[in-house]
Amino acid sequence: MFNSFRLSMTWLHTWFGLVLGFVLMVVFFFGSLSVFDREIDRWALPETRFEPQTMPSFDARLRPIFEQIVPEEEELAAARERVGGPLLETLPLMNWNAYTTHRDPVLSLTAEFAVKNNPDDPYDHVHGHVTIDPRTGRILPHDDLNLGSDFFYPMHYSLHLHWLDLGYWLVGLAALTMLAALVSGVVMHRKIFRELFTFRPAKSTQRSLLDLHNLTGVVALPFSFMFPLTGLIIFAGIYLPVSETMLEPAAMAYQQAEAEKNGLPFQPAGTAAPLSSVDAMVAEAKRRWAARDMPGEVGFLAIQHVGDVNSYVSIYRAGSDRVALVGQGVHFAAPTGRVLYEEPPPPVVFGINEFLTGLHLQHFEHWLLRWLYVAGGFAGCVCIATGLIFFVGKRRVRHATQGIAGARWVDALSVTAITGMLVATLAMLVANRLLPAQLDHRGTWQEGVFWSAWLLALLHAAGRSGPVQQGRIAPAWREQCWAIVVLALAAVLSNWLTTGDHLLKTIRAGYWPVAGFDLTLASSAALAGLTALHLRRREHRHAPSAALDDEVASDAGAPEVAHG
Amino acid sequence: MAKALLLALALGCCVSGMAWLALAMKAHWQQLRGTQPLARRTVWTLRALGSLALLVSLILCLRADHASMAALVWVMSLIPAVMLVAFTLAWRPRWLSWLVAWVPVQRTRT
Amino acid sequence: MNSLTLQRAQIVSRIAASLLGGYAFAWGFTTLGIVLGLGLGMPYGEAQTLLFLLAFLVFLVSFCWAFAAKSSARVWAVLAGGGAAMTGVAWLLSRVLAS
Repeated sequence: MFNSFRLSMTWLHTWFGLVLGFVLMVVFFFGSLSVFDREIDRWALPETRFEPQTMPSFDARLRPIFEQIVPEEEELAAARERVGGPLLETLPLMNWNAYTTHRDPVLSLTAEFAVKNNPDDPYDHVHGHVTIDPRTGRILPHDDLNLGSDFFYPMHYSLHLHWLDLGYWLVGLAALTMLAALVSGVVMHRKIFRELFTFRPAKSTQRSLLDLHNLTGVVALPFSFMFPLTGLIIFAGIYLPVSETMLEPAAMAYQQAEAEKNGLPFQPAGTAAPLSSVDAMVAEAKRRWAARDMPGEVGFLAIQHVGDVNSYVSIYRAGSDRVALVGQGVHFAAPTGRVLYEEPPPPVVFGINEFLTGLHLQHFEHWLLRWLYVAGGFAGCVCIATGLIFFVGKRRVRHATQGIAGARWVDALSVTAITGMLVATLAMLVANRLLPAQLDHRGTWQEGVFWSAWLLALLHAAGRSGPVQQGRIAPAWREQCWAIVVLALAAVLSNWLTTGDHLLKTIRAGYWPVAGFDLTLASSAALAGLTALHLRRREHRHAPSAALDDEVASDAGAPEVAHG
Repeated sequence: MAKALLLALALGCCVSGMAWLALAMKAHWQQLRGTQPLARRTVWTLRALGSLALLVSLILCLRADHASMAALVWVMSLIPAVMLVAFTLAWRPRWLSWLVAWVPVQRTRT
Repeated sequence: MNSLTLQRAQIVSRIAASLLGGYAFAWGFTTLGIVLGLGLGMPYGEAQTLLFLLAFLVFLVSFCWAFAAKSSARVWAVLAGGGAAMTGVAWLLSRVLAS
């Protein structure tokens, strides 16, 4: 189909880059925000703005709270759908778990209940969930949204599009395209070392754009390659469900064998037994980790078959000191506190997998490295954005003279995917601060603001991209940049007004989650403002060609047209 | 030495290292020194300085964290380092003049 | 069929071959790899993890090759055909191992 390898790779880069580029913008942008998802949560939920806490005493603080957890209404409703009728009076409790990281002030507690009467799935279950302040045991209200960890983070891997798992597949396709775009990009560019530092802003826009595209593409190449690849590996069970289909017998046999080897009971026995001191088990787990030269805090605690004689407690270490996703789980018999199984160091293959997934999921405690990740992520965003803008720039004049609307619509979509996405994100942040605190379904309202703002940005972009069909820059870019300036400053201001935590206060107190985010918002406003001013100069520079177009139009019989 | 200080120095070495490697290329040398010829000896010196600075940067990273984390930090710090050098060469090349201060400025005769 | 329709059909065919054929090839590679690993005495969990680490690189190579190759027919034969063949062999072998 193509005359040379280079031409085929150029075609692949251009067309798959274009179509999936819009999805990749979303993935890379929200992925970058996700590096600091828990810090964004602090900004969005002012009542959680205190220092990160370690997991408190299970016996004294957590157990009474766990015993109060009931299944969530939404999950019960979904379960009734699946079962096709009413559920049992009381759903038997299956397990409890608690999760925290070195960045969390609040603690997340979940209980799982069995749905016994689902004919299609004997293991069907529902959950109950609370978030608590570990210092006091106070349960935090349910209706608000963890903007960072429950909205931005899932956006980057699922696009919040759960119908038929479509979002996951689209992101997967985008990841494959990113990998292919990097490979094909290197084939196209070739002189990746010689031209590593090449950036010529004084030259034509297209040249500068391409320089910036190449610069950000090459400099972050290892990063931009590893992230889509590890992302695909993390969700490999979704993309290549071999263990649930073709190889299910072998997979099940393995799980049985593992359960027998560990001595961890797969099913409850049906006989009641009390739960002995979990605090003593935590102390023992910590002692064992220290003995293996990896002292640490509890990251994840789970109790299976609660209240049964077969119940066991699994305690995992928070992997904040290394890249590999470590667990070093220690498992205890719940009624006696005896150690059932201590996980040995993993075999090589698992070790490699832990390291690679650890690279992506970032459980480590290293603030410089996190910022470097954001730098890499934003470099990826600039690479994708410049690619889209370059695509339009290359075809704008040609399409204008030929009367094709292609460049115009790609431009409108690019505006939506780049500045539009920022407008939607900022609008959501402002809504987070300004919506009434006691509003029912406050989280849903914020999500509504996000999607509506993005839709508005799309309509604005579509309406204000007409000039592209005359070979000029669409004013939509500049106008949305100004919207970003206004919204970003509004976000900082509304944080101050609604919480009193203005920048001077948070910097002086050294509360960096909020100070850092406010500073980022302020810098975004500054950058957007400079861009808007720059674009205005660019648009004026292009105006003479508008005069040329008008002359062409007047040749076709149009009345006198104004110049300049 | 405090971890923050080690990492700050590592970043500094990374940026200077990348700058030296860039200036060893004719196109970027010219952004700073105009049409002044780039002697082969200067190229070798600049490349040596650049590589050395990058190596020192890696060592400083290894002093700050354990091996796998340090390697990751170092590789990632190349990103802002290269971008900073590229933007400085494009907009304010004079800011890099101290890096080649030992090479006398030769005003070319017209 | 005029020349433009033929061109469009060729492009659609290549894209389909790259995605569907590439996926089939990755699936075949993964299942055959796991079963061979099992045959060599690897525990299932390790075999699956190892193949998942490799599968997407294989998909990437197949995907790029699908566009670089001269003949569309060859791409379909190798990726879809090869994928089906590997899947078939894997299925047969898994039967053998289970018994």
